[in-house]
Formats: sequence, C-alpha cells, structure tokens
Amino acid sequence: MKTLHPLTWWIWTFSLVIALARANSSILAIVLLAIVSFVVWQKADATPWGRSFHWALRMGLLVFLIRLFTGVLISVGAPGKVLFTLPKMPLPNFMVGIRIGGEVTLERISATAHQGLILGVIIALLGAASSLTSPHRILRLIPIMVYEFGIIVVIATTVLPQLVAGIARVRQARLLRGHNVKGLSQWPAMVIPVLEDSLSRSLDLAAAMDSRGYGISRKRSRYRPEKWGAVDALMSLAALICIFIPNPLVIATALLPLALSPNPIEVRN
Amino acid sequence: MITFSNVSLIYPQSVSTVLENLDLEIQEGEFVLVIGPTGSGKSSLLRLINGLVPHHTGGILAGAITVDGISTQNMKPGGFAQLVGIVGQNPLNGFVADKVEEELAFGMEAHNVPPETMRKRIEEVLDLMSLTPLRNRSIDTLSGGEQQRVAIASALVMHPKVLVLDEPTSALDPIAAEEVLSILQRLVHDLGLTVIVAEHKLERVIQFADRVLHIVGDGQTRIGTPREIFADSAIAPPIVHLARALKLPEVGLTVRDMRRMTENLRNTLPEPKANPAAEKLPLIVEAQSLSFSYGENEVLKDFTIHIQEGEIVAIMGRNGAGKSTALRAIVGAAEIKIGSIKVLNQDPSKLQGIDRRRNVGYIPQEPSDLLYGQSVEQECTNADNDNQVTKGNTFALLQTLVPGVSIHAHPRDLSEGQRLALALSIVLSAKPKLLVLDEPTRGLDYSAKSALIKSLSDCTVLLATHDVELVAEVATRTIFIADGEIVADGPTIDVLLSSPAFAPQVAKVMSPGPWLTVSSVIKSLEGSA
Repeated sequence: MKTLHPLTWWIWTFSLVIALARANSSILAIVLLAIVSFVVWQKADATPWGRSFHWALRMGLLVFLIRLFTGVLISVGAPGKVLFTLPKMPLPNFMVGIRIGGEVTLERISATAHQGLILGVIIALLGAASSLTSPHRILRLIPIMVYEFGIIVVIATTVLPQLVAGIARVRQARLLRGHNVKGLSQWPAMVIPVLEDSLSRSLDLAAAMDSRGYGISRKRSRYRPEKWGAVDALMSLAALICIFIPNPLVIATALLPLALSPNPIEVRN
Repeated sequence: MITFSNVSLIYPQSVSTVLENLDLEIQEGEFVLVIGPTGSGKSSLLRLINGLVPHHTGGILAGAITVDGISTQNMKPGGFAQLVGIVGQNPLNGFVADKVEEELAFGMEAHNVPPETMRKRIEEVLDLMSLTPLRNRSIDTLSGGEQQRVAIASALVMHPKVLVLDEPTSALDPIAAEEVLSILQRLVHDLGLTVIVAEHKLERVIQFADRVLHIVGDGQTRIGTPREIFADSAIAPPIVHLARALKLPEVGLTVRDMRRMTENLRNTLPEPKANPAAEKLPLIVEAQSLSFSYGENEVLKDFTIHIQEGEIVAIMGRNGAGKSTALRAIVGAAEIKIGSIKVLNQDPSKLQGIDRRRNVGYIPQEPSDLLYGQSVEQECTNADNDNQVTKGNTFALLQTLVPGVSIHAHPRDLSEGQRLALALSIVLSAKPKLLVLDEPTRGLDYSAKSALIKSLSDCTVLLATHDVELVAEVATRTIFIADGEIVADGPTIDVLLSSPAFAPQVAKVMSPGPWLTVSSVIKSLEGSA
C-alpha cells in the first residue's frame, strides 16, 4: 500500500465526518467529497478493498435519492414557494402534522436535498477510508484483548470486497448463459451464489486464524511494527483541527498537501 | 503421534455419520494419504486433528483424539498451532496478511514469540521452502504453486510436529504439484515430520504414501499400506488400473515398479494403427491472432486457434499461462481489441439469450456461480423452461451423469462433483454446439470424472485443465500455451508424449510406445491376441 499508517487514514476520515456533521453545510460536503475522491484516485491501488470507495459512492447516491424521495413525499409541510402539488393521502386523526403528498415547496426540496447530501457524503467518506487501508493491516493493529472483535473486523472487512468481486463474477457467468442481468427480478439469482460464496470464504478465514493460534496469547509481539511517522502525526493533528474550524478552505489547504505527500513507510521497505 | 480411538462423528441435521468407530494410530514421521469419494468426509477427518471439527463447525463427536498426548477435547484449535500445522483446501482464503513475510509472522506474533526468534525462524523457513525471492511480494500476485508454498511455510514456521494438508495440489499444474509434493517428501525424511494429506489426484501422491486411509462412505473406513488398499479399492490411479487390467501378480505403485513388471509386454505389444487423417469438417471456432492484456501485463500474444466440429480440444499450460483468458475471449467475455474471433460465424460477445445457450455453453471455474435455486428440482425446471425443452429433460440428464442425486436436495449441500454435474446438465440441456469448460476436474473424484468424460463425447468441446489424465482420456487435440503464446498444437498423443512433465502415468510406463490410457493398452492387447 502506498499510503500512510492505517490509523492515520481512519483518524482523518472520522475527523472529516465529525467536521461535516458539526458544520452541517452542503458546500463543505461537496468540497470534502471532491477532496476524498481526489485522494482516493491518487492513492488507492487495485486491491479488492481499493474499490470499496466506488461502491460507497453508489451507496451514498442511493441514500441521497431515497432521502430526497421520502422527503418530498412525506413531510410536516414547510411553508414557502410552491413548485407543484402532489395528490394528498388522507391520514388518521392521531397523525396530526404529518402528511403524505400535498404541496411541494422549494424549501422542502432544498432541505431534504441538503440532509441527503450530508448523509451520502458521510458514507462516501467512510468508504474512502476502507479503500485506503488494507483490512489485514488493521487486524495487526487491533489489540489482542479484543480478539473476538478482531475476528469480526476481519470477516466484515473481507466480506465486502469479496461480495463486490463475486457479483462481477456471477454477473458475467449469467451473461454468458444468455440470461438477463438487469432488473430487480434477477437479483436473487445474482446475490444468492455470491452471499454463499463469501460466507464460506469468511468461515475459511476464521478457521485459518483460529488454527494458527490467533488470540491464544494475551500479549502479542510484532515482527515489523507499523511506524507512526511525523507525517502521520501532522496529518492527524491537521484533521483534528479541522473538526473545530470546519471551513472548506481551511480543510482543503490543510489536508490535500498532506494526504498527497509521499509515504514514509514506503521508504523503509 | 496421533491417536484416534473409537471416533464417530455426525453433523447436526444430517442422517448419516461421517465417521464410525475409527481406530487409527499414526506414528511420528509417517506420510498418510486420505482418499475417498467427494463429500465423504476427508476434510472433516483432517480438521478433527486440531479440533477445528467440532470446535469450529459444530457436530457431535464420540471417542477421543489425541495429538502428542494432548486431547482435542481439552484444547481449542489455537492451542494446537505449535503442534499441528493445517493447510486448507484453498490457501488464498486463509491468508491473513498482505505480504509473504507478514503472513509467515502472523502465527508467531499471536504466540508472542520474541522478534529476534521470529526473524531467525522466518529466514529458515524462507530457505527451506525456496521463498526468499518472494519475501516482500504481495500475496495476491503470487501464482497458485507459490501461494501453496507460502501456506505450507506459514504452518511450518511454528515448528509443528504434524502437517495436515487438504488437497494441496488440486489447483496446481503438474510441475508446481511435483514441487510441493517433493518438499513434503523431504520434510518427512529430513525432519521426521508427520504428514497427512487428502488428495483426489492419486497419480500425483501415491508414490509418497506410507499408509492409506480409505473413507468408503457411510462412516466406514479402511486402513492399510498402499499395496493392500489399492489391490481392490474402486478409487485408484491409472497405474493401478493398468496393473489390474494386465492381471499382474501385484499392483505397482510407481512408474518404476510398473516398468519393471511390464518389460516383456512393452516389447511384444503391437503399436496401435495411427488414426487416419481427419476429414475437413466445418469450423466452429476461428480465432485469429488474438492479443489481450490486463494493464501492462500481456496475457495473450498472437493467439490463433481453429476448432473443427466434433473436436475435443484441451488447452494446457502452467498456472497463469493465459488459459482462462483464452477461454473467456472465445466465449465472448473478454473484450478483444487486437485480432478477430468468430464462433459459428458470429461474434461471440454479441450472442444473447437462447441464441447464446444454443450455440455456446460455458462452465466457469466455479460452477456454483451458475446455481441459485433452492433445490435441484428448481434448477432443473428453470433450465427446462429457459431452453424450451420438455419437462424433466435436465433432471434426466443429471441422472445419467451422477445417479442418486435427490431432486429435493439444496445445490449447496451437494458434493463438488455433483454440483459440477448439475451445472453441466443445465448447460447441456440447451444442446450447445460448442461447450467450453474451465478447469472442470477440480475436486472431482474418479467416478465423477468418468461421468464428465461420458457427457463430453458428443459435442465440440474446448477445455482448459491441469489434469493430464483427463486430457489423455478425452482430448483429440492438445494445445500448450506458455506466457500467452501457443508453444505446441497437435494430436493429444503427440503433444503429451513429447513433454515428460505433462505425460500421463500410462505413457510413462509404456514409454517410448504411443499409449496414453489403460483402455488404449487393452485395445492393443485384444488386437494382438
């Protein structure tokens, strides 16, 4: 991996998520999305987890659309400029204040779009962190005290990339059988083999970890410890500061040069 | 070293026992081979040794298993890591690190071994397994044989007394398999390591085994020396079938033994008549100078192949030589920029729907990618409807391939071989003009393999495989590729005989005579009598 200490990436990401949640600003959301997309594009490599950002982006978009759709359909009715009117569905008396359908105002659309955008970008940010760090390196950092947790993290982080790779494989197998791969009715045919396959792979992994003595000793030695370099410290510090000054310009100037700096770990190898 | 006393094993929700009253004592420094049909419980038996079964999988275990005096009942699998090294069926699924060195260190880190000791042991094992040039490589860039060696090394680095391997050569080409097995052989002889191996491709391992444990099915087992077991077992490598067919006084287990016993026969057996040159039949596949690359990496170079109707063409080559890519290009899954490709005079990437199913049938390396139904019945009915054939047709086809598959079974509960047969009958029910198979014998036992061979006889087939015995049985033509280029292309008998590494066992015994299979020897014998 041509990146920094894995922990740095997660500190970075979580700081950005907190900054975004605190600032609650659409402009910041868009700037952050641009920054992480650029960083991922520069740094992530062709590993299975390197593609998780791509999928997080899709998921973020889906969340955004769902939020927009439900926001327009169900609301407590915001006053403002009426754009169009949907047919209103009558609701029982005890649900006073909530309505389905009715007038759709500009304010209502912009408010839900704003919320949807922030949710979507948070998902994309988390996807960026997982595409920049190898789950295997994370595993080596997890203290042995939380051994069950370690196994869960590894299984969870390896299942997702396997799912992604598996879907591509099954999709192709079905295309080559002359089957349709588009449409909702095709989903069971795509998903069932993939889920079964990644589940059995993850069980294999857990069995392998178990039989090699993972979690046997309370203390754990390190063969070649991950070094926490100056750049890591600088970057984490910069990211933490961003939590308190969630200004798009500050974040962009503080994080971009650091995130794109050459990697001190790479030099050691 | 390992004692099984009166061991029985049954999984919950299962009606038949996996093992019944097994008594077995394995001595230090023994090489034990476990054989049995697919799904008979070989993997379960191996995983009993370090307690993964039942600690990890559930199941009811009766009796006691001890390793070096320690019972698996009282210790979790992790506690055995310094005693038993276990290498799973698919090593890639068990890797926990990105780099070779980190992978080797994982077990020792977990046992809190001091860094200096780790350093020393890693150097030792890198040398032992000839992995030093790969030490900083990322594991997923390694070839199958290299990965298998890393998996063995990461077990050995814990200095275990027992090494357990589940089908260590099933995904490897013959040369890589030889490499891995000779390393095992060396470990047994030099270090007195106890090795237990389960394997389907017996022709590869039989000469190394001290004892054989045959799981017959229904929990019954037989234990004996290879000579005792192979005297009458149904599962046997071609060399043993040859000995039986020739009615030799005893079975030979190595090519050397068999050559000594057949010297007379080799000198007297008349050579079979060369097949008349085949007439020109219409071309099914025409691929002209294909080139294909993944990024920088050129996988196919100037690849030209023509396949006539009725031919069975096998593509062979080392792991990573470009076999799968060639197949994917021909079925229209890989986007070809350089070169042209025509299947039945059409562009294969444009084929869709029933047209595709009627023209090209493709079985990928993981046949279960095609299966998604909740039962065999559902899969078969879907195929009947898809391919517009009479109801029950697909299931009837399945019955001829592997009799005894329950129509209500869930595809996931079938054995590897049965699953392949199911995928095969789904594809075959459309009666495709061209059948393309990618590595069809992985994990298949001999009976499933012969079912496969039967089903291939009446269509045009292209298959990529490491299994030389399968190629010898079925293929009319063999193509060798190395590094994306065709290095040999000709009738199977010529191509296989000219390459010592890829020659089947019977050919090695009968060398320099032109026989590849037991049946061809028998035919010549009958002809001369």
